[in-house]
Amino acid sequence: MPFVTWLKRHLVVIAGLLTLAYLLLPNVIVTVFSFNKPKGRFNYEWQRFSTDAWKDPCGVADMCGSLSLSLQIAVWATVGATILGTMISFALVRYRFRARGAVNSLIFLPMAMPEVVMAASLLTLFLNMGAQLGFWTILIAHIMFCLSFVVTAVKARVMSMDPRLEEAARDLYAGPVQTFLRVTLPIAAPGIAAGALLSFALSFDDFIITNFNAGSTVTFPMFVWGSAQRGTPVQINVIGTAMFLIAVLFVLTSMVVSNRRNKQKA
Amino acid sequence: MKTTSDNSGDVRLSGISKTYGSFTAVHPLELTVPEGSFFALLGASGCGKTTTLRMIAGLEEPTTGTVRLGDQDVTHLPPYKRPVNTVFQSYALFPHLDIFENVAFGLRRRGIKSVKKQVEDMLELVQLGEQARKKPHQLSGGQQQRVAVARALINHPKVLLLDEPLGALDLKLRRQMQLELKRIQTEVGITFIHVTHDQEEAMTMADTVAVMNGGRVEQLGSPADLYENPQSTFVANFLGTSNLIEAEVDTKNGDDIVLRAGGGKLVLPEARCSAPTTAGGKVLVGIRPEKISLTHADDAGEIPEGRNRLTGKIADASFIGVSTQYVVDSPVCDELAVYVQNVERDGRLVPGADVVLHWSPAHTFGLDAAQSLLAGTVGSAGTEEEVAA
Repeated sequence: MPFVTWLKRHLVVIAGLLTLAYLLLPNVIVTVFSFNKPKGRFNYEWQRFSTDAWKDPCGVADMCGSLSLSLQIAVWATVGATILGTMISFALVRYRFRARGAVNSLIFLPMAMPEVVMAASLLTLFLNMGAQLGFWTILIAHIMFCLSFVVTAVKARVMSMDPRLEEAARDLYAGPVQTFLRVTLPIAAPGIAAGALLSFALSFDDFIITNFNAGSTVTFPMFVWGSAQRGTPVQINVIGTAMFLIAVLFVLTSMVVSNRRNKQKA
Repeated sequence: MKTTSDNSGDVRLSGISKTYGSFTAVHPLELTVPEGSFFALLGASGCGKTTTLRMIAGLEEPTTGTVRLGDQDVTHLPPYKRPVNTVFQSYALFPHLDIFENVAFGLRRRGIKSVKKQVEDMLELVQLGEQARKKPHQLSGGQQQRVAVARALINHPKVLLLDEPLGALDLKLRRQMQLELKRIQTEVGITFIHVTHDQEEAMTMADTVAVMNGGRVEQLGSPADLYENPQSTFVANFLGTSNLIEAEVDTKNGDDIVLRAGGGKLVLPEARCSAPTTAGGKVLVGIRPEKISLTHADDAGEIPEGRNRLTGKIADASFIGVSTQYVVDSPVCDELAVYVQNVERDGRLVPGADVVLHWSPAHTFGLDAAQSLLAGTVGSAGTEEEVAA
């Protein structure tokens, strides 16, 4: 009976730990296998520990080139989508114009549409326009599908903003530019940051739309997909692990910073 | 901290009005607020008081008319170029800045570099020196309110505008802040214009009160003047409680008007009547409930001569500690309110008792009978529930 009592008391913790394990297990596997020394071309069976891949992460032909291309596209798509999305959000919340309701719902269409459909129709569009597929077509496509996510994040923030705050700023000698920079933008910042992070993540690992519109250009997700047919180099796991670690480090730093700031205030 | 008195803090509104489409929020308005005074705009929600305030702040452009500060015409200046600051309803403190930076905001925007000393002094004035590095949401409502006042006052505006500044506070704190604001105003000597729907708040704090109704100023004067000598039924009912009795002009007797109400006669000093008084015309006779004395009908003979009197029957009595509030039905008017101080309580004054109500003619006021008797009371058009509080 004591076991049942113990189980009852800790059920929530156990369920939580199991869920966490479910979420993290794939990452653990990726990390563990980045230290593998596979026999054949496929990195699916554990052989023995080795740091070879970590010592030479760019040892696979073309992989680091595709990685840098993906990072570039992700950065520019994030910048483009965040700026445009923020402006759209302000327009939708602050101004009354004709077809505002229609724009409000149309902006979310890319989120709801199946990616394959969007990818195919984008390709048709680019081909009809005679555009050369490559970096620019990928970038245009990425900005397009990131936009709705940015608008969602920023709009919520702008809508909950008290218009009196801006009036207060104007009342306290801040001109239109100062009001925007000192009050509007800082208050909308968390929404904008959330939109930007989402855009970066979405753009960096997008495969379907990119694959349709890339022409002969190869991004990192396309490289992984391509190499999975012929054999998987350990370096893919190295890159995956590194990305994961960078993300975790990012979150931890921001937590430490905000904790310290709160402690100072109290 | 006293500003020099060269009338530069006078606020003059002339012919100022505001219309939104077909709705007129403020009818053309003439108003002068002398420098250094504590001025209140009092009225129910939607009466145009906040719109008037926002036109002085520059947050609304008037449809017609001009706003002058001293000798300067500021009608078309944007808010950030006016020497006027506002304490907003619900304060509008910047959530991303700490208390120090909130207070320093105005100084920094005007390019003043060394703000530390000034901000610390100002936080001291509102007793918030310890909280300088907290964020607004970490403070209580009363503290936030004081930050809002400090943030505006630090700029030494010629005029400080307060838009329902105490609306979000509970009753006890509100009383405390009323005294606090009054203290600060006396200390800094700046013109305060205060918008409120709470008549008690306006009367406690302001030197001059303008009662607004339907986009117009109904009456302007000192709190005592408005209370003792209201000139419309709206003012009579909105500020405290009034008994209004319909009467007919009978004769004039020197400076007094003699009126007929039911079978009896009532005397009203002509100076206290704001209505035209031709013989046979109708007038509303007003009397405040605390000015009326109640005497049991058996002792009617002891009432001195020369007092206005009415007979009636007590319908209801409620004991509320310092006083007892009676409702008396009289042949000329139902439900007269009478407040009697609990000094010497007459045990015979219980519901059902026959009584005589009497009061000094000097406390009587006369109003135009062409108005609604209910204007300004709770539940009538243009007033809100909170008025009763």
